[in-house]
Amino acid sequence: MAKSETYTQQMLTIEVAEGDDTINAVWRGKSIDREPAKFITPILTQMVKTSSGTQKRVTLDFRELAYMNSSTITPIIKILERAKRGSTSITVLYDKSLKWQDLIFSALTIFITKDKRVEIKG
Amino acid sequence: MKNTKDTMKVTLRPDWDEIEPLRLQAHDFFGSHRLSGDVIQSLVMVLGELLENSVKYGCYKVSDSQIQISINIGKKIITIEVTNPVDDSNLDDLKRLDRMIQWVRGYQDPFEAYIERLKEVAKRPLHDKESGLGIVRVAYEGDVILDFFVSEDNLLTVSAVLTR
Repeated sequence: MAKSETYTQQMLTIEVAEGDDTINAVWRGKSIDREPAKFITPILTQMVKTSSGTQKRVTLDFRELAYMNSSTITPIIKILERAKRGSTSITVLYDKSLKWQDLIFSALTIFITKDKRVEIKG
Repeated sequence: MKNTKDTMKVTLRPDWDEIEPLRLQAHDFFGSHRLSGDVIQSLVMVLGELLENSVKYGCYKVSDSQIQISINIGKKIITIEVTNPVDDSNLDDLKRLDRMIQWVRGYQDPFEAYIERLKEVAKRPLHDKESGLGIVRVAYEGDVILDFFVSEDNLLTVSAVLTR
């Protein structure tokens, strides 16, 4: 994986940057595609693959995301479920001051692991 | 677009690209009624999700078929209605819609329904296209009461009612 790469689909941009210890994905814009998983899943899958080879933590940063439809939530929770059952370390960052983000992302605490390998932070 | 002070009525082509501009129009409409930013965001989300379902699952065999949207802001309730044509080919979709709405209603707290649905959807294969989160998200995040009916001329109306 390149050190930094930006992926854009319609109004959604995902900027992925690999650092020494982390692989960060910053989400910006709006995710309103009819089938957003087609765009999102390969990006998340590649991040998880890179993480498994390097032991780097994956961070999904949604704080700058203005909106996402329910179809966007699906690939995210599938990756979290797989991370919870597997060995990937993953952190989800969201803006607690935005009510919609607080409602959507606080519910994802069902994927948290006791060892904090999977974290949801608002 | 018909737009009185408290009512917005719009027709829309069943085209995915029409949804976002309408969400923005609705955002402005809600904003003109001194609703809080959070309530506006929530209502626009409700409208968006219902429109997405309408485009996905409506029956548009006639070339000029359209989706009808009606929004009314009352003193005590805010109502969003989305209407689209259906036919016998939608029977399974309608049954699924009915099941989902009844299932959500079975929970005292829609948050619990949302959690259960998240757990279920998360376990599906990565390549599985179906989302299945729209209705429960509308009920939970939108904090609305959902209902639907099908008229004799095969028009499905899904309504979302927010108590102020």
